[in-house]
Amino acid sequence: MKALEDENLTNQKDERLQVEAARQDPARFAELYENNFERVYAYIAHRVRNREEAQDATADVFHQALASLPRFEWRGSPFVAWLLGIAANVLSDRWQRVAKRQEVVTDDLEQVGMEDDIEQRAMLYQLVETLPDDQRRVIIRRFVGQKSLREIATELGRSEGAIKQLQLRALQNLRKRIRSNHG
Amino acid sequence: MASTSMADQLEDAIEMMIAEPDSAPPQVDLKISELLGIAAKLRLLPDPEFRAELKAELLGQNHAVPVAANVDIRRQTREQGQARRDVKPDEILPTLFGAGDVNYPVHRGNFAISAAIHAALIAVVATAGLWMTRQTQLTPHTTSILLTDISAYVWPLSIDKSRGGGGGGDRDKLSESKGSLPRFAREQVTPPTIVVHNEQPKLPAEPTVVGPPALTPPTFQIGNPLSAILQLPSNGTGFGGGLGSGSGGGIGSGEGPGFGRGQGGGTGGGAYRVGGGVSAPRPIYDPDPEYSEEARHAKYQGTVLLSVVVGPDGRPRDIRVQRSLGMGLDEKAIEAVRKWAFEPAMKDGHPVAVQVNIEVSFRLY
Repeated sequence: MKALEDENLTNQKDERLQVEAARQDPARFAELYENNFERVYAYIAHRVRNREEAQDATADVFHQALASLPRFEWRGSPFVAWLLGIAANVLSDRWQRVAKRQEVVTDDLEQVGMEDDIEQRAMLYQLVETLPDDQRRVIIRRFVGQKSLREIATELGRSEGAIKQLQLRALQNLRKRIRSNHG
Repeated sequence: MASTSMADQLEDAIEMMIAEPDSAPPQVDLKISELLGIAAKLRLLPDPEFRAELKAELLGQNHAVPVAANVDIRRQTREQGQARRDVKPDEILPTLFGAGDVNYPVHRGNFAISAAIHAALIAVVATAGLWMTRQTQLTPHTTSILLTDISAYVWPLSIDKSRGGGGGGDRDKLSESKGSLPRFAREQVTPPTIVVHNEQPKLPAEPTVVGPPALTPPTFQIGNPLSAILQLPSNGTGFGGGLGSGSGGGIGSGEGPGFGRGQGGGTGGGAYRVGGGVSAPRPIYDPDPEYSEEARHAKYQGTVLLSVVVGPDGRPRDIRVQRSLGMGLDEKAIEAVRKWAFEPAMKDGHPVAVQVNIEVSFRLY
C-alpha cells in the first residue's frame, strides 16, 4: 500500500515538473499530451456518437489547455483531472449549441460506471498500439477506416480469410492484455 | 475449423455493428460476445493520423491562431484527409483555388492581388528594353571645357603678333610729338619723354618701353611714330609719364609701359594670353548649352571651339567661333557661353582681360 502511495507521489512530481516545463516552453507540452491523450479522448468518446465529433472536441480540449496553461494552479489533483474539467466544459458548450442534445448530456453525466468505462477505453486505445503490426493494421483499417475485409485484403495483399483471422486474433489479444492489466 | 466459424460469426456481428451503430447487439456466443464488446469500444478508436497531426498543430503553431480558427482548420484537414483517396485534378493544390491547406486560412482575393502584381512586374520587365532605347535616343549630353595653354611667357618676336600696349603723357594741351620709339626692354626704369622737366637727374637712365627686347627701333628723336605733330615738342595729353593720351609710362593711347592701344606692356593691342605671370580665369557659373532641335532630329554630334575674351569683370566678350559645327549648335554654344561667369585672370595682383578657348561638345548617348 505504501509502495503504491510512493509511486503516485513520484508520478505527481514528474507531472508537476512537466507542467512547469510546458509553462516555460510550450514545446514541452508534448509530454503532457502523450501521457493524457487517451484518457481525454476516451472521456469524450464515451459521450459522443461518432469519431469526428470526438476528435474535434479532443482537439478543442488540448488547444484550450495549452492556452490556459499559464493560469493552471496545482491543487493536488492529477493534471488529467484539469483536462477532463476542460473536456466537460467543451462538450457542454458544443451541446448547448445543438439544442437537441442537451437532454443527452444530462443523462450521460449521471451514468453509473462512467469512470470504469473511460478507463477501459483509454487502456484499450493504448493497447492497440502494442499489437503486432499486421494485427494493428487490420484493426485500424477496419474500425478507423471502416473498410470491408475485402478492401483490407486488397490493400495488404492478403486473402480475405487471412484478414478475418488477423481480426479475430487481434481482438483476442486485446482481451488477453486487458485481463492481464486488470490482474 | 472452430476458429474459422468463430471468425465468421465475429465478422458478421462487427459488420452489423458498423453498419447500424444504434441497433441492439446481435445474439452471439458468449466467447464472441466479449470480443464484440471490445470491438464496440474500438468503433471510436482515435485515428493515429489525427493524433499525430493534433500534436504537430499544438507544438507548431504555438497558439498564434485562436481556438475557433483551429476548429475550422481541423475541419478542413479532416475533409481533405477523407477526400485524399479520390483526389480530383483541381484539388492537387487546394491553396491555388482558395480552399486553404493545413494550418492557415486562405482568401481568394489574395490570389487575385498577387496575380495582378506579378503581371504588372512581368510587363515592366518585358518592356524595359524599349524604355531604355527611347531614353538613349532622346537624351542629348553636352559638355563645355575651358582650354588654357599654360606655358612660360615668351615675348612675341613680331610686332604684328604682339599683344598689349601702353600710353602716357603729362597732361599737355597738345598730342605727343612724332618720333621714333625708344628701345624695348623687359623692365622700364625711365619712361620716354620729349619735353624734359628735369635736365639734371641724379641717376640718369635710358628711357625705354616694355616690349620685345629683340626689336631695335631707330635711335633719333623719341616720339610716337603714329603722331601727326611734327614740330612742337609735347608729351601728350595723357598722364603718368611717357607719351600719348593714355597712362602708365608707355607710348600711345593704352595703359601701361608698352606701346599702342593695349594694356600692361608690349605692343599691338588685344588681351593677354594665359601664362607668364597671367593666371587662367576660372569658371564659376558654366551652364551647359541646349541641343538644337535640328541637330537632335538628325542625330548630329560634334564639338564647337569658341574663342572668348574674359574681361577683368569676369564676363565673357568678343566670342568668336574658331571651329564651327553647324545645325544651330554654334549659336547654342555661344548662347550658353555668353551666360558664363569667371573669376578673372590676374596679373601682378590685378584682374586683366585674357583670351581663352572654350570647347563645347554635343553628344547623343
